[in-house]
This record gives sequence, C-alpha cells and structure tokens, in this order.
Amino acid sequence: MRVLIVEDEPRLAENVARSLRESAGYAVDIASDGQEGLFLAESNAYDVVLLDLMLPKLDGIELLRRIRQSGQHTPVLVLTAREDKESVVALLNAGADDYLTKPFDLGELLARTKALIRRGKGQPSPILAIGDLELNTINRTVQRGGRAITLTAMEYRVLEYLAHRPRAVVSKTELLEHLYDYNWEKFSNVIEVYISGLRRKLNEGSSRQLIRTLRGQGYMLQD
Amino acid sequence: MRRDSIQRRLITTVVLSQAILTAGLVITGVFVTYWRLLSTLDAAMQAHAMSVAALVRYTEDASGNVYFDNSLLPESIDPNHPDQFMVWADRTGLLTRSEDWPDGLRLQPGPNQHWNFTWAGVPYHALQMSHVHILDREEGKSFRPQTLTIVYASPTIRIRQQVKAAGAFIALVSLVLLGATAWLALWRIRRGLLPLQILAQQAALVSTRSWQLQVPKEAEEIDELRPLTESMTQMLARLEHSFEQQRQFLGNAAHELKTPVAVLKSTLQSLLQRSRSSEEYRTGLQAALQDLDRLEQLLQWMLRLARAEQWAHEAGRHELDIIDINATCEEAVERIRSLAQSRDTAIHLSMDGPIPFRADPEDLQLVWTNLLENAVRYSQKGTSVEVAVTRDGERARVIFEDHGAGISPSDLPHIFDRFFRGDPSRTRATGGFGLGLAIAKAVVEAYGGSITAESAPGRGTRMTVELPGVHK
Repeated sequence: MRVLIVEDEPRLAENVARSLRESAGYAVDIASDGQEGLFLAESNAYDVVLLDLMLPKLDGIELLRRIRQSGQHTPVLVLTAREDKESVVALLNAGADDYLTKPFDLGELLARTKALIRRGKGQPSPILAIGDLELNTINRTVQRGGRAITLTAMEYRVLEYLAHRPRAVVSKTELLEHLYDYNWEKFSNVIEVYISGLRRKLNEGSSRQLIRTLRGQGYMLQD
Repeated sequence: MRRDSIQRRLITTVVLSQAILTAGLVITGVFVTYWRLLSTLDAAMQAHAMSVAALVRYTEDASGNVYFDNSLLPESIDPNHPDQFMVWADRTGLLTRSEDWPDGLRLQPGPNQHWNFTWAGVPYHALQMSHVHILDREEGKSFRPQTLTIVYASPTIRIRQQVKAAGAFIALVSLVLLGATAWLALWRIRRGLLPLQILAQQAALVSTRSWQLQVPKEAEEIDELRPLTESMTQMLARLEHSFEQQRQFLGNAAHELKTPVAVLKSTLQSLLQRSRSSEEYRTGLQAALQDLDRLEQLLQWMLRLARAEQWAHEAGRHELDIIDINATCEEAVERIRSLAQSRDTAIHLSMDGPIPFRADPEDLQLVWTNLLENAVRYSQKGTSVEVAVTRDGERARVIFEDHGAGISPSDLPHIFDRFFRGDPSRTRATGGFGLGLAIAKAVVEAYGGSITAESAPGRGTRMTVELPGVHK
C-alpha cells in the first residue's frame, strides 16, 4: 500500500510516515505544501492520502476539491487542528472520507488509515479471505487452511495488495507503484522475486496454485 | 455596607418637609387665633370697664366724694365664668370690687396694663386703666374732680378652648392633606423611578454572548439617565472589544499549540510503537526534546505578548528612567549580528544625536530585535538591512528597511495580527510563530506610539516606528 502525506510540519510528517512504514509496512511519500501534494496525488496512484488543512501555497480544502474534480476516488483522511462543526462539515463536503483532530493518536491514525484502504478497495472486513487463504491485516498474519505462513515484510505487502483486489489482474507496474514510494522504478525486478517466494510458501502442502501469472499482463490472486 | 434606596430618600424628604409645613401651619394658626380672640376680649373688657366706670357717681353734697352705684352692674363677658373688677378713686380710695376679688392682686405700677394671672385655678386676662375721668360730672361744682383706676379681669377659659379646637381642626386637616400628598408623592416617585428598573432589567440581559444593551424608550426619554446609558453603552463596547480580543487570543493560542503538541505526541508514540535499540531511543528522545523546546518557545512568546498587551492598559510610565533610544538600537543590532552574518546580510545603523526617552530599555530592545530579525530573515542573501534612527521635534522615528521578497498587498494589512503568517512553510522553517510583529506592535502602542509597514513585493519592506514624547 502506498500513502501520501501532505503536511507542512516536517517533524509531524516524518513521525507519521515512520509509523506507517514500521507498523503497517506501507510505502509513504511526503509533500510539504499544497502544490507539491496536488502534483504527487495526480501523478501517482495512492491507496490513501493523509491531508493537513493549513498548507502553504495551496490550501488543504482546495487541494481536496481539485483531487475530487479530477475524478480520483482515493480515500482522503484529513488532519486538522480545528474541530468546530462548520469546518468538519466543510471538509467532508469537499470530499474527505474521514478526519482526525490534532493532536491525534498514532494508533488511531493507523487504524483509520487501514479502514479507509479496505473500504476504498471494497473490503470492509479487516480479515481478507480468498478460498482457504486468510489474511489478517491488523496483526499482519497469513494462514492457509489453518496453517500459519511466515512471510517477509515485502512478501506480505505484495500478498496484501493482491488480496485487496482478488480475482483481478494486477500489473507489475501497479504493484510497484503501490508498494514503493516515488523511487519505485529502481525496484522493477524485485517483484518476480517476491512472487516466487510467495508461491513457494503458500503452496507448501497444497497443489493448487493461488497466484497466477498472466503473461504480459500481470498477476492474479484466485481461489 | 448600609443599604439605602432613592425611593425611600425621596419619600422621607417629601414627608419630612410636609410635616414641617404642617407643624408651622398649626403653630401659626393657633397663635393667630389666640391673638385675635384675645384682642376681641380686650375690646370687650375695655367696654365693660367703661361701663363699670360709668357707675361711679359724685355724692349730692359739694364734698367731691364719690360712691359706686351697685345696681347696674354689667353682665360677665363669659356667662359661665364671672368677671372680676375693682374701682379705685384717687381721693376716696377703694370704691368697690367684685365679690371674690383675688386679695393678692396688686395694682400695676404703670398707667395702662394688660397681663395674665391665675386665681383659684382659673386663668384670667387682666386690664388696668388709670386716670379714668368720672363720667358723672355736674356743672358748676367747685371741687376738684377725682380720677379712677379700674382693674377688670376676665377668665380666658373659653378662649383657650376655642384656640385648642381651632388648633386641633387645623392639625387634623393638615394631617389628612399630608397623608394624601405623601401617597401622591409615593405614587409619582415610584412611577418616576420605573425607567431605572426597566433599564436594570435590560442591563441584566447583557452577557458575554450578547453585548448589546437595548436602552428602553422610557429611559431614553429621561435627561438624568442619558449620561448613564451613554456611558454604559460605551463601557460595553470597550468590554466587548477586549473580551473578543481575549477570546481570539485564547482561540489562536490553543489552535497554535495543537501542532507542536501533535508533533511531540507523534514523536513519542512512534518511538514506542515497537521495541528499539538504545541508540534509536536516544535519537527519538532527543527529537522529542527538540519538539518540546519549540513548544516552550511558543509558550514564552505568547506570554510575552499577553504581558505586553496587558501592560498597554496600565500606564505606569512616569516611574521609568530616561534612556537613549540610540543605545537600545545598538544593543538590538548586536543581538541580531550573528544571525545576520550567518545569512550573509549586512546591517547598517544610522543615528544622529541622542534621543532621550522615558522607557524600559528591555521593551524597546525587544521591539527593535523583533523587527530587525524579521528584516534579516526575509532579506535576500548578500543584501543589507538599513536601520535609521531620526528625531522629528518631540517624535522619535526608527525605520527598518530590507531588500527581500516583500509582503504581498493582500497580506500587508494582517502582518501585525497575532499568529498571522504570510507563508506558513517559510516562517515555520525560520522558527517564527507569527507573534513577533504582534508583540512589537503591542509594546509600541503601550508607549503611545505607532508602527506601520510599507512593502513593494520583490523589492523589500520598510517598517516605521514612531514614538511620541521625546525629552528635550
């Protein structure tokens, strides 16, 4: 999963990014003003955007409106210092999916971010099940037929992304875009490594292949 | 505290003055009645005395002796209480006296006298007439005629009763009138004070939510209340202004505190998210300490602003020493010099002659430092900041001019607002909170001065501080 943080207070952005990277394994990009935020949001496919409202150059609400006008459905979680009803109503009406008031709890921010990602992908439950495969996105554990499978962090991230979009073809580029921050091109060859690792671990004691490769198109998780 | 009421005071005044009037009326009435009755009695007594005198006759012989003819005595003036009389002839002596003539009563020394006395429990008014000629005069007699002294006394019991009755009547009528007018006064005073009550009710509706005082029409019409309602309206306007300022400050302060608190909280929480090496903990705690430093700095700035604004309301300047404005400018330039050097900015300070001014040097240095720091931070590298201290009669003028990016015309009117930041990213990066200029303005205004800013975007900004009341 890939997250965009638009926040002009660098220390806060760093802390949130570190937390998302460490405890959810997300790829995180940081924009320190509204214009940069808009540019990144329009040129990359993010799974969720964390947006501060008081931003230099381009106001947070305005940024939100422009993202929505361009037809993007990426879930947006607004971080605001204001909690009066009017401003909350205004930001929800501008297209925000959720909001948190500063100072917020990092655990809550994480939980809300995960929930927004699930809902954005049409998966309301935190436990994703495809056939006999079960993914717990909260404590990041994987089971197949009741048997626990130990994955590396990157293997889990690949599987989690595929599990969010079951039975859909996911291209290598899409995987790269959502698993890495803006440097993703550098990692273009590692996806095959993770996929083969995943296949090996998932298929232990089972003959049915869960991850299919469609030549020239990408990968598909199926039951 | 003793409680009192205007209504009670007015009614007491009215009733008291009416009571005095009533008493005066009763006393005057009694006196006049008594005096008139007594003079009527006097006239009657004189007539009776003359009637008694007419009863004195000469004897038929030529001796010139006189006798008193008892047969034709006049009736008493008061039929219930007999009059007393005595007739004395100058040669014959005592001619006659009434039956129960008081023995102790002496003749008065003067010729004609009125006096009062009491005999056997009865009050009398007495009249003494001397040198009264005998009316019975026979022609051709050769003897020398005698003259009479007549004392006539009449009881005054009836007069006293009449006076008492008249006094009682006057008192009764006055009391009835007093009651009626007191009631009328009470009613009018209550009605007259009604606008005060209505005004008080309206004033009770004023709160921190609604500062508007609706002056009722009843109170508006009354001249005496107008100064009160006017000053109340003005006072409320001032209160509302300062209350609004405080509320805004509090709101801004709370809002501004949220971000540094959020930073600190996220730093600590992300540190605790999983177990880390001691090196990581050390780095994390140092970061938290830095966040805390910023928070503390913000708090200090806010306190300083609050103090400067409060200080503006308390004028205690006359206790301060006279200092030289130039010296405070030099000190401020010294303080900023290292910052200016690190940003490759030169500071040129120009002064002409000392400018004595009554102030706390720390206050002025704070103002100059804030303005200078601002100018240096917004300067382009390699440019200079000019500080010019001049004097114009009784006014001191200090000008700070930089050659930086300038301030956009839309931001210019707000740069002295608390917590205003033209460009949040830049000021945050430079460590500003948007309070420096607000503090400078508050301090300058506390000294009765003014601060203005002119700016041409792309060319630079000029800040001018004027301070009045420079010493000779």
